[in-house]
Amino acid sequence: MGRDMKAAIRSYSGTLALLIILVFCISANAQQTQQAQQADTQRLHAYGVNRESFLLGTVVKFESVSSAAPIGAHLTLQTPSGQVDVHLGNAKVLQAGHLELNPGDNVRIVGEPLALGDKTYFAARIVQKGAQAVAVRNAKGYLLTSASTLTPDQKQALRGVR
Amino acid sequence: MKRLLFALATAAGLLSTACGGGSSVQPPPPVGKYSMASLNGQYAFVTNGEVFTSGSNAPVPLARTGVFIADGKGNITGGIEDVNASGTPSNAIAITNGTYIVNADGRGALALNVGQSTLDFGITLTSTSDGLLIDETSNSNQASTGSGNFVLQKAAPFALTDVNGPYVFDFPGLDANNNPESFIGEFTVDNTGAIPTGFFDDNVNGNLTSGGMAPGSIAQDPLQLSTLSSFGRGIANIAGQNFVFYIVDSRRVRFVSTSGGMLSGDAVTQSTNVPTSTSNFNGSFAFVLAGASANGGVTRVGRFTANGATVGNVLGDTNDAGRQHPSTSFSSGTITFDSANPGRGQITFQDTSFPFAFVFYLSSASSGVIQDVTQSGPGVGIVVADGSIELQSGSPFTSANVSGTYAMNWSGLVVAGGSFPIEDEEDLLAQANVSSMTLSGAADLFQFTSATLTPQLDLGVGGVIQINGTDGTSGDGSRNGMTVNLTGANPINFVVYFVNPQLAFFANRDNSGAQRIVVGILKLQQ
Repeated sequence: MGRDMKAAIRSYSGTLALLIILVFCISANAQQTQQAQQADTQRLHAYGVNRESFLLGTVVKFESVSSAAPIGAHLTLQTPSGQVDVHLGNAKVLQAGHLELNPGDNVRIVGEPLALGDKTYFAARIVQKGAQAVAVRNAKGYLLTSASTLTPDQKQALRGVR
Repeated sequence: MKRLLFALATAAGLLSTACGGGSSVQPPPPVGKYSMASLNGQYAFVTNGEVFTSGSNAPVPLARTGVFIADGKGNITGGIEDVNASGTPSNAIAITNGTYIVNADGRGALALNVGQSTLDFGITLTSTSDGLLIDETSNSNQASTGSGNFVLQKAAPFALTDVNGPYVFDFPGLDANNNPESFIGEFTVDNTGAIPTGFFDDNVNGNLTSGGMAPGSIAQDPLQLSTLSSFGRGIANIAGQNFVFYIVDSRRVRFVSTSGGMLSGDAVTQSTNVPTSTSNFNGSFAFVLAGASANGGVTRVGRFTANGATVGNVLGDTNDAGRQHPSTSFSSGTITFDSANPGRGQITFQDTSFPFAFVFYLSSASSGVIQDVTQSGPGVGIVVADGSIELQSGSPFTSANVSGTYAMNWSGLVVAGGSFPIEDEEDLLAQANVSSMTLSGAADLFQFTSATLTPQLDLGVGGVIQINGTDGTSGDGSRNGMTVNLTGANPINFVVYFVNPQLAFFANRDNSGAQRIVVGILKLQQ
């Protein structure tokens, strides 16, 4: 009898322990699932001009390409709320727009925060320095190429391509 | 002399990209079964890439489609091409003459004279009927690069009636505002050149649309009437957009747009036994897609097994703007077919909670085109990307059957350069002997990231293919690995999906050295 009770208690304790582990696992899984869903929601998040905001800040660093994804030009921007990684896309578009970015420059960036993997960055659509503004993304968020900056004369000159 | 100059430029260029080291692999002497006589006849060619013109400070997208005639003795005796540079077409450009060389390994060079200019290409034969090429033009008028291929045409004369029946097409490119576009579908051509019916899936800048096509047509070019019979060249209107086309034969027609942007691609005959329901769509398939996301360039390669309406054994690798994402845990895979449009269907599967969705058009039971239609909201695609889907066969893939000489081509974006490094087009064309899964060969590489804009010719190629690699995969065409060593460069790692022992899709899988977003193919030489 006593032996059976002890066995029952052990069994109950084991069941409880297993239940606690299961609950913990479920909780952890739920948390992971929630995190995964958040990440995936961000992965499924297409750029939208209706969600755009702007950053005002000072250029800390400009890189025509960065070792960090997304591939392309990046700007480290000092804002009142801290430093922000700004993705500018194709550096040739800035070059074609004759926009140089140097440390200390005050700029205004129109864009939207996007996620890539487990990191977020600010996807720039328009980069403005003083009176000069250059678009680096289109309204759907796709990166502009230097083809987007062609003047009608330059487009016409492409008829000479062989 | 020209190749020597290129070689010197290559050495100089590599100093800036080797990052303090790199492979010392040297190209082996060319050996093999090919000769000048292996390139003999009239070939239809395509390339897609970029062009720098004199006076411009940045490259623009470029698509070219045309025909060259090789005499089997090193001479190009004629031809014609149509180009589209970022929506600006130049049509019916005469190729007056030219030269070519083919080495024993099938690698060579092609020089096409167009007026006062010469267009240079690196070529690698995959048989005497076809091959791969990259644009290596760099002269005072323009520098252009891009990857493509050439296919032997049927014997002239050509006629509109050569194009007849149902065709499946994939025309990626740009819309009239230089936004990314993927336009795939199917159409039927009747024996009068009319295109009375068709169905399409279009993704312009993330806007997904699908539906029946407005009636179209194919016709002789009224400005170049004779080019139809001699080169198989004509004009077409498909879904309201104008194109020039080149007939390869009744099974394949090559298109480049002349209005509304820059689209180009092939239409291939849809066979009568194309699957029309899930009951006859079974087997393992490999796929490859490339395009754009809001983050930048994007590639997807992978495979799945279709079993009725369900999808299993899914593996996929995405490179989104330099961020690689290998997925091994997929669920909820489904396949549906569109009963109204033969061969058209949709496939979906979940990676954790991320729902991938694709639409495909099969041209046969073993081949088709595919477009990413994953949506963030109704009608809003998260990427603009398309590519190919191919039935896998011939497994297990081992050193016994993945063996011989292969042509290799990759294309995409790379980060490189000197004082102002940038991301831009990269195209590589190689030939490599694969023996005991070890690569040995030679390659041409053209990166549009250098101020000199000169192709790097005759680089050595080494490396290995890792079947049953470290990621626990098997020899059934699942994810495998490949490391490519190029002279002076750090190792470049890829994920590989074999279609069969003669063909594989690959995409780069690391960014430890130069950043890349490229996809490519390995194709056995015949």
